[in-house]
Amino acid sequence: MSDGHVLFTIIFVCALGFFAANIQRLIGELQLGHTDDSRWNDLPTRFGNFLRIGIFQEKIFRDSIAGPMHAAIFWGFGILTLGTIEFLIGGVIPGFSFQPFFLAPVYAFFALNQDVWAALVIAAVGMALFRRLTKRVKRLQGAETHPNDPLLILSWIASLMITMFAYEAFEMVAHPDTMTPMLRPISFGVAMAFSWMSPSAATVAHDLAWWAHGLLVLGFLNYLPYSKHLHVVASLPNVFLSNTSGPGQKGVMKPMDLEGDLEVFGAKDVTDLSWKSLLDGFACTECGRCTSVCPAHTTGKLLSPRKIMINVRERLESYAHAADKSTVADRTLLDGYITEEELWSCTSCGACVQECPVSIDQLSVIMELRRNLVLGESRFPAEVMPAFESMEQRGSPWAFDPGDRGKWAEGMNIPTMAEMTERGERPEVLYWVGCMGSFDDRAKKTTVAFAQIMQASGVKFAILGQEEKCNGDPARRMGNEYLYQMLAKDNIETLDKYGVRTIVTACPHCFHQIGNEFPQLGGNYDVVHHSTFIESLLEQGRVPIVQELHGPVRTFTYHDSCYLGRYNDVYDAPRETLRRALPVMNLVEMPRSKDKGLCCGAGGGRMFMEETVGKRINVERAEEALATGADAIAVACPFCMTMMADSVKSRNANVEVYDIAEVVAGQLRA
Amino acid sequence: MSNIFAFAETRGGELRRAALEAVTAARQTADQVGGEVRVLIAGAPGIAVHAAKLAAHGADMVLVVEHEAFTHYNPEALAATLAAGLASNYRAAFFSASAQGKDLAPRVAAKLKVALASDVTEFAFSGDAVVAKHPGYTGKIVQTLTLKATPAIISLRPGAVLPKESPKAGTVQNIPSAGDPAASRVVVTDTVVGGGAKLDLGEAPVIISGGRGLKEAANFALVEDLAAAFGNAAVGATRAVTDEGWRPHSDQIGQTGRLVSPDLYVACGISGAIQHLAGMRTSKTIVAINKDKEAPIFKIADYGIVGDVLEILPVLTAAVKTAKQGA
Amino acid sequence: MKIAVCIKRVPDMDVRFKIGANGTSVDEAGLKFDISDFDGYAVEAALQIKEKANAGEVVVISLGADNVQETLRKAMSMGADRAVQLKHDAPVFDSFAIATALAAEISTGGYDLVMFGRMSIDTANQATGTMVAELLGLPILTAISKLDFDGGKAKARRELEGSYELIECPLPAVVTIDEGIARPRYPSLKGIMAAKKKPLETKPAQVGEQSYTLDKMELPAERAAGRIVGEGKDAVPELVRLLKEEAKVL
Repeated sequence: MSDGHVLFTIIFVCALGFFAANIQRLIGELQLGHTDDSRWNDLPTRFGNFLRIGIFQEKIFRDSIAGPMHAAIFWGFGILTLGTIEFLIGGVIPGFSFQPFFLAPVYAFFALNQDVWAALVIAAVGMALFRRLTKRVKRLQGAETHPNDPLLILSWIASLMITMFAYEAFEMVAHPDTMTPMLRPISFGVAMAFSWMSPSAATVAHDLAWWAHGLLVLGFLNYLPYSKHLHVVASLPNVFLSNTSGPGQKGVMKPMDLEGDLEVFGAKDVTDLSWKSLLDGFACTECGRCTSVCPAHTTGKLLSPRKIMINVRERLESYAHAADKSTVADRTLLDGYITEEELWSCTSCGACVQECPVSIDQLSVIMELRRNLVLGESRFPAEVMPAFESMEQRGSPWAFDPGDRGKWAEGMNIPTMAEMTERGERPEVLYWVGCMGSFDDRAKKTTVAFAQIMQASGVKFAILGQEEKCNGDPARRMGNEYLYQMLAKDNIETLDKYGVRTIVTACPHCFHQIGNEFPQLGGNYDVVHHSTFIESLLEQGRVPIVQELHGPVRTFTYHDSCYLGRYNDVYDAPRETLRRALPVMNLVEMPRSKDKGLCCGAGGGRMFMEETVGKRINVERAEEALATGADAIAVACPFCMTMMADSVKSRNANVEVYDIAEVVAGQLRA
Repeated sequence: MSNIFAFAETRGGELRRAALEAVTAARQTADQVGGEVRVLIAGAPGIAVHAAKLAAHGADMVLVVEHEAFTHYNPEALAATLAAGLASNYRAAFFSASAQGKDLAPRVAAKLKVALASDVTEFAFSGDAVVAKHPGYTGKIVQTLTLKATPAIISLRPGAVLPKESPKAGTVQNIPSAGDPAASRVVVTDTVVGGGAKLDLGEAPVIISGGRGLKEAANFALVEDLAAAFGNAAVGATRAVTDEGWRPHSDQIGQTGRLVSPDLYVACGISGAIQHLAGMRTSKTIVAINKDKEAPIFKIADYGIVGDVLEILPVLTAAVKTAKQGA
Repeated sequence: MKIAVCIKRVPDMDVRFKIGANGTSVDEAGLKFDISDFDGYAVEAALQIKEKANAGEVVVISLGADNVQETLRKAMSMGADRAVQLKHDAPVFDSFAIATALAAEISTGGYDLVMFGRMSIDTANQATGTMVAELLGLPILTAISKLDFDGGKAKARRELEGSYELIECPLPAVVTIDEGIARPRYPSLKGIMAAKKKPLETKPAQVGEQSYTLDKMELPAERAAGRIVGEGKDAVPELVRLLKEEAKVL
């Protein structure tokens, strides 16, 4: 073994050792977080996510320009890693190559790909640098980002590719007899450009390029733990371990045991978060896609989901590095890095989680911090207090008389569960009306419309009437887990008392809460949203509607509810329902629709808070809806109904907002 | 024979309507169960000038306590004096459930070691007892109670009794304060009367009230104009509006503010939240102006106009002025 | 400062009440109970006084059956240090009788300040606090909306009808609290859990003889239905006519 190889071996071993030490340090930092639910369950789904989102870059492609660009770099990296391994071993064992181990065509394919992908990577990296330096892409900017890091990394990658071509090319120039132009055509092309060099000069150039490449590779590896490009190491594991695309239900908040003696409620600092949230921090590449789709951020609020994750990592590293842990308590994650204002602006729409290419769950961090604010310190916007008090005292976030809950049903002959039970009967389905549907004048029209549809279709249903209470979603989303559990448990007791199995509701928040989150407290029911329910009734032909094939063609646009759409993947049922009810109808989509839909602004408890900064989210959405030229807007959620109706009115537009149930009920045969 | 007592409330040397309500109630009672109506009035020297009015409303005797120390409300000296006097020979004592009365009556009752019936809207003497009605639960429940103590201490809800003239002798008798009134532990250092000759919400027969529907503080001028057109009206407000700072807290009518019972209540741009209704639902006639025809206020209003309050108020003001001139 | 706050357990007021079977109480089915509104302001004011001085003790006292313990715990979850239940299972309506029982307990406590809400939001007599002061021989300032301390004196502001009084008295004293002084804080879960461990003492209540009894509770007479006279400013002439001729208020 030559001196060069010995030297390289030493450097290589040191580099690996150094890298391993850093990984160990990072794992140690992760262990500062709480234990989490099992992340090893449902391996098939996890592998599916790993392949779809990780390897096949499904979410990356949501950006049609940066998507292919990054995919090229990522796939190229994967493929080039094989070549790098060959290279590194070759640095230790002189003359090592994979060639003898594989059939010739296999090796040829391997070598060709090294060249091709290296070229693609250079092109992609060049495009990326161009974008960053000249195009001022909005989502790449932000006070919380580290702008020099990506420039360094991109240049570094480019240098890696260039040095690779260099040593391959110079090798060819130095040893023209061992050239393999077919194996490495691009390197060959470069070699041709240097064919004027003397073999001895080429050998020197080759050695320089080789060493440069080697040092750059080992240097790159060891730079990762200190840069946002740690995502290279962290992102694939993160995608595997994440629950944001399953297994289990999306958007379900972390359960909380309030029985024991709790020291900390929710999270005040990084040590109160789960290790998975900390890993999310490592996986964050600062790409800004989450922030660019955040309804709060895009309307001028301080909240940036990206900043939340960067802060998690920053605080973790600051905490871990502090020698004296007692002084470190001064700048906790909550207040020290992330402010109340940011936390309360969140509508829990889930766009950030949907968008993140490495499956980070930004929302869970926001929710844990909210829990700390409310449960630990009673710190929340003053206007929220009446909602909390009302939920506690009256079982509804608004000060309506609980005795008025069933009043919308007067004259409709709808039995309550109590009445049905007394008669010894059981309904096909329980209609869960919800607080808005029971008390809000506008929402009551939807309630009545849906009840009419069910009656006309011969569905045997009952309501809880005065026994129904708020499902607690606003309390839970605002961090008041204590109040939530109180309400949820009361409701579960009532539902179980009647042996309820199947529930239909017109409110996506009730739908999500009862169907997906009540199981945490022992309530297990099959819950269907009214859009799905009506669609299936229409499909079965059970709804006696008049389908007008003549008459004025209306143009509708449908606004997706976050809790129905992103949280529960129900996008088509409402649209199908509209099409079946109004066959001669033009359905136009807003630019931001389905899983890219913009929130109406009411979720996450924001319905009960003042919006004082920037542009109103519902106005932003109304403008988008009106710009489609539609003469009617359809919704499937009472919160969306209120927000859209208000904002459309504020724009002085003559456009009506309907719930899909109203549209269908309007077509019922008289 | 036991007598019937009434306390004549004053402020800033002036007799308050509350005094006349108490005297009228005492007079009605004495006419029914017998005994003399004796009224006590306290104030700085010169307060006796009001004795004539008290006599006109039925006082057989007016007990006058004059001392500098009664220039401002002097609860401890008053309570001691009243308790000493009421200890014997009185069947009942009437106060108003005004701010002053609600402070004074319980002091007197406690000194006499008896309970009192407060904020009473109806009462009847039957045998040894008094049966009275008193609203509670933010006006949602009417409580009927029996008071068996003697004397029966009763404070009347302002507006429950209509002052009525019933001229009697009203013999004036100066009596000393019990103890040294200047030595009271509780001292009122200043009484600040509301800005201008503003008619008080508890005294005004007409109240014009404004809510969120007025859109901004400046528009309250329209409400004030209507009040001025009536001539005998006070201006009230909802909590939404006092919380915003458009009107002072003392103008707030509602569950946690003032409870009023005027002859006419005009609700301008008020939706009719339960908390507000609790404060004015006992008004004799209620008019509501609101652009939302589904607003809860219309369920309690006797007459309603659906429309923009900012447009309607000036027209209504002009119409009221004309009607008043013609009258 | 050692402060006693007397509180009452009352039902939530934002509901339509039904009269109970015995005719002298509201039907409790479905009702939620809490600290009476003005008492809540008093508790909050007491806590703020203690926090400002960074010293002192706040003791909450309530008279009633065992169900008032929940209300006392709520006050402790806001921050009160300990609680005393004066146990008396039957409801008492005679303010003087209630005051006697409260005064007996308070007199043993050596309190610098005794606070009440200005009235309980259910029975609304606005008498108990004042009577307790008289029984204890202490000066009392009622229905105050501002409270300060200056050289051993309590200085306060009382709202009157369209005016106000500035009033003062030496300590120890009793005060009853009106709205405007403080918004009761929302108890954090931390506070709720801490309250479970704070001391709550139960003693028999020494309720005096009762000369005031509640005979009956009933719902107020329904107003006759009104009507919409018209829309917009065109309806004004008709309204004025009705006010003049029908309602006779003009």
